[in-house]
Amino acid sequence: VRVIVRVCACDCVRVIVCVPSLCEDLLSSVDQPLKIARDKVVGKDYLLCDYNRDGDSYRCSTEYRDLYFEGGVSSVYLWDLDHGFAGVILIKKAGDGSKKIKGCWDSIHVVEVQVRAGAPLPVQTGINNVNCFYLPNLGNMDMENKIRSTLNEIYFGKTKDIVNGLRSIESLPDNQKYRQLQRELSQVLTQRQIYID
Amino acid sequence: MADFEEQLSDEEKVRIAANFIIHAPPGEFNEVFNDVRLLLNSDNLLREGAAQAFAQYNMDQFTPAKLDGSEDQVLITEHGDLGHGRFFDPRKKQSFKFDHLRKEASEPQSHEGEVALRPWRDACDEALRAYVKDHYPTGVCTVYGKTIDGQQTIIACIEGHQFQPKNFWNGRCRSEWKFTISQPTAQVVGVLKIQVHYYEDGNVQLVSHKDVQESLIISNEVQTAKEFVKIIENAENEYQTAITENYQTMSDTTFKALRRQLPVTRTKIDWNKILSYKIGKEMQNA
Repeated sequence: VRVIVRVCACDCVRVIVCVPSLCEDLLSSVDQPLKIARDKVVGKDYLLCDYNRDGDSYRCSTEYRDLYFEGGVSSVYLWDLDHGFAGVILIKKAGDGSKKIKGCWDSIHVVEVQVRAGAPLPVQTGINNVNCFYLPNLGNMDMENKIRSTLNEIYFGKTKDIVNGLRSIESLPDNQKYRQLQRELSQVLTQRQIYID
Repeated sequence: MADFEEQLSDEEKVRIAANFIIHAPPGEFNEVFNDVRLLLNSDNLLREGAAQAFAQYNMDQFTPAKLDGSEDQVLITEHGDLGHGRFFDPRKKQSFKFDHLRKEASEPQSHEGEVALRPWRDACDEALRAYVKDHYPTGVCTVYGKTIDGQQTIIACIEGHQFQPKNFWNGRCRSEWKFTISQPTAQVVGVLKIQVHYYEDGNVQLVSHKDVQESLIISNEVQTAKEFVKIIENAENEYQTAITENYQTMSDTTFKALRRQLPVTRTKIDWNKILSYKIGKEMQNA
């Protein structure tokens, strides 16, 4: 996976130098791995993406990150909209490189919160952090759980199945006989169905 | 954003195009070719400048080729490259022209190959064919006998692929095994490669390879071929088992280390609890 991620960044550059007019479209539709930068003033890492090229940075609730990621780096960037606000929540977790396995998980969640006119506003009770009100909805991030499950079961499971379809550890003839039997059975069943119809 | 002072030279563009083509996943050469063709916007440039890339791709991938009138397939590899677009089929003692874009073989001619090595080549080919039939549902193999740097060498190539673009996946495995018959004990050198691409609503590739080295005692042609294939079978079984086990390890450890399915508490976060805790804390501090 690491090879592919690294090649992808170079490939983007290669396509862009060939056809410079595609630059904007490409960069906005292809996600690059998140880059980490260091805020020397505060002494903390933060993440770079398209959204925080200008604008303020804001540290997100670390509870979610630590419970699911047990570490990692996260950054949240929020900006005002006409009727609400939008934001991007970035999380980057790299494997610790132990057991000769390397990996990296990048999350990019883009959210938009619309506040309709006439809707009850969160009551200011001396708490500065208005965003706390929206946290239960933002924090759910169910999509990430679903993607992680899909990655584990479908993507990894599927590629493993394909490998085992290319070559068999056991001698084939037995499998081939079984498949022949399967084919014969399904033929008989299909014939039966036609008869009934 | 796109303010490049000078346009890239044609030569550089072709180099980039060729690079994309050489790295096309198995079964996706045509798709990459067509995309690159659009980017380059010059068919002449592509055809002339990237011709070597087309040939390189087929040789790297061990592309199987079939001559009309024969069910048997031969692999396109660097070992069978005769130059001028012609390749050697050592089993049939033929050479043929190969169109790298259409992937078609034509113009067969008789071609002897190295006669002295033929008994060894034939014995290894026969043993390997039986092995490939036994383990590869769609496998093809080609065995060469060549003198390289004065050493009489047997080179065995195996390829198996499944292309199912309608189901958004393609996969191929290749292995190459060599040994020289000049000494009583030979070093067998093997390299095994697997590449799988699955892209239904996503994009995942498995790209893996393994280098193998084993000793082989050189006796007579038939016995040596038998031992040679036994080494291949053991190594390839071991490799496939290791890959399967790795999936389990990856799921249990690395993947979990990147992002857990559930927090350590084994329950999803209760955001309202966290919220009330936070509010409570701030009210205390107020």
